[in-house]
Amino acid sequence: MKQKKAQWPWHVLTVLVLVGLAGALYYATSLMSYEWRWNRVPQYFAYQAEETQRATDISTVSELVRQGGSAQVTLRNDAGDEQHLTVDENSLQFAQGDDVAEGDVVGVTRHWAAGPLLWGLWTTLWLSLVSGVLGLLIGLATGLCRLSSNPTLRDLSTIYVELVRGTPLLVQIFIFYFFIGTVMNLSREFAGIAALSLFTGAYVAEIIRSGVQSIARGQNEAARSLGLSAGQSMRHVVLPQAFKRVLPPLAGQFISLVKDTSLVSVIAITELLKSGREVITTSFSPFEILFCVAGLYLLINLPLSKIASRLERRLAQSD
Amino acid sequence: MIEVRDLVKVFDTRGQVVRAVDNVSTNVAKGEVLVVLGPSGSGKSTFLRCLNGLEEFDSGSVSIDGLQLADPKTDINAYRREVGMVFQHFNLFPHMTVLENLCLAQKVVRKRGQKDSEAKAMALLEKVGIAQKAREYPSRLSGGQQQRVAIARALAMDPKVMLFDEPTSALDPEMVGEVLDVMKNLAVEGMTMVCVTHEMGFAREVADRVLFFDHGKLLEDASPTEFFNAPKDPRAQAFLRQVL
Repeated sequence: MKQKKAQWPWHVLTVLVLVGLAGALYYATSLMSYEWRWNRVPQYFAYQAEETQRATDISTVSELVRQGGSAQVTLRNDAGDEQHLTVDENSLQFAQGDDVAEGDVVGVTRHWAAGPLLWGLWTTLWLSLVSGVLGLLIGLATGLCRLSSNPTLRDLSTIYVELVRGTPLLVQIFIFYFFIGTVMNLSREFAGIAALSLFTGAYVAEIIRSGVQSIARGQNEAARSLGLSAGQSMRHVVLPQAFKRVLPPLAGQFISLVKDTSLVSVIAITELLKSGREVITTSFSPFEILFCVAGLYLLINLPLSKIASRLERRLAQSD
Repeated sequence: MIEVRDLVKVFDTRGQVVRAVDNVSTNVAKGEVLVVLGPSGSGKSTFLRCLNGLEEFDSGSVSIDGLQLADPKTDINAYRREVGMVFQHFNLFPHMTVLENLCLAQKVVRKRGQKDSEAKAMALLEKVGIAQKAREYPSRLSGGQQQRVAIARALAMDPKVMLFDEPTSALDPEMVGEVLDVMKNLAVEGMTMVCVTHEMGFAREVADRVLFFDHGKLLEDASPTEFFNAPKDPRAQAFLRQVL
């Protein structure tokens, strides 16, 4: 009889290995006398932006009401015109009855603002989303062209797929930005998205093609024998089944795409990686920031693979 | 009803030429049940698949009710509407329920409404004795049940002719009977049928005529009594000795 062995000692071992690796990393950085300053990191996610409030004319503080941390200041000039300002109480520069010159700072108001890392995350998100949707559409069309009975469509789609898959994405981005972008006067974002979606499209095309080909021929034959046209058979019978089958590789492709958006930092699109590198130049904390950047990519991709596996399970109900 | 003239289908795989259907001519009258027999590789399935254009033939002609299959002016999809086909491996659509399997072509091809399609589908499922499984997915059904659903799916298009391509060959022995019963009822109702099968009992009992194929050639075209009791061709005699 097969003995069921306890699993937990192995999980404990896993934790020990991870702790050991972290310790080794810490020791290595201490050797190069690196000073970890995690407390500097949060301000690059979000910070309190200050907005200075200035007097517009030579005037006197005629009224001052302090209320719950903020102060309402009323300034009156010689003509009797009033200026109302609201500032944070602890930034107030004047008292009741003080004279104020034109342009004097009365105080500041503070509000939360997104830091560069959050802006970078946002840029990465919408770049991925737009390129992903375009890539899926291009890939679907190209994949079907690859299976077409028309030789020209087949040839063109094959050439496209082979060209894109055979050259590095980084090179394609440079070509799009410096060559096609210059010729057609494209913005850097347009060039970046074009390169990313064409790159993704080529891989999606191969995924779609293999998915469609993996559906048994009898399915198409049954549909055609009922009088469905080739297109109707593809739409109602073959593609729904193929889609279910290609969901895992498609999800993998989109996760790759999210990571590949980091490459458009080379054409000065301020996405997550470029934001991170800019932050490093002001914070002097390269390791902390790079770990944060990596963590943010994970933050996008882990839910993505979670959603894919849930969708996969839901589509499997007919099996 | 069905007219086949000098039908030829050649398979050419890397220089190896096989004449799968070799100069076959026959007629099927309205309401007639034709059973096609022959050893495996004799071309009987290819012959059947030529009848609805799943296999493109090289020369000759096939027509149903005067509609020429090979005529470029003929809309192949309109032609196939009139010809139901049942496959050896059922080929139900696994991502749809039984009911959806029956409704798809009615809605997409015949342009029937949801209600009409479902009413028709339920009536047919009732007829093949499987109405209680209408909301199930095909994978939950036994082979015999799946094949009965496949027959109902073909019938939902109101075809003039039904083609059966070894409908019981992929079934467990105890499920063959339920499928054959459905086919017998169809024959009694006057459906024009062409069946490729290995069920000799069915051929003897239901067929109006038996065709015997070997190496792509139509060797016998006779009534079942003639064919089973006094086959003329020596290859037919050898075949019957082996299967009976």
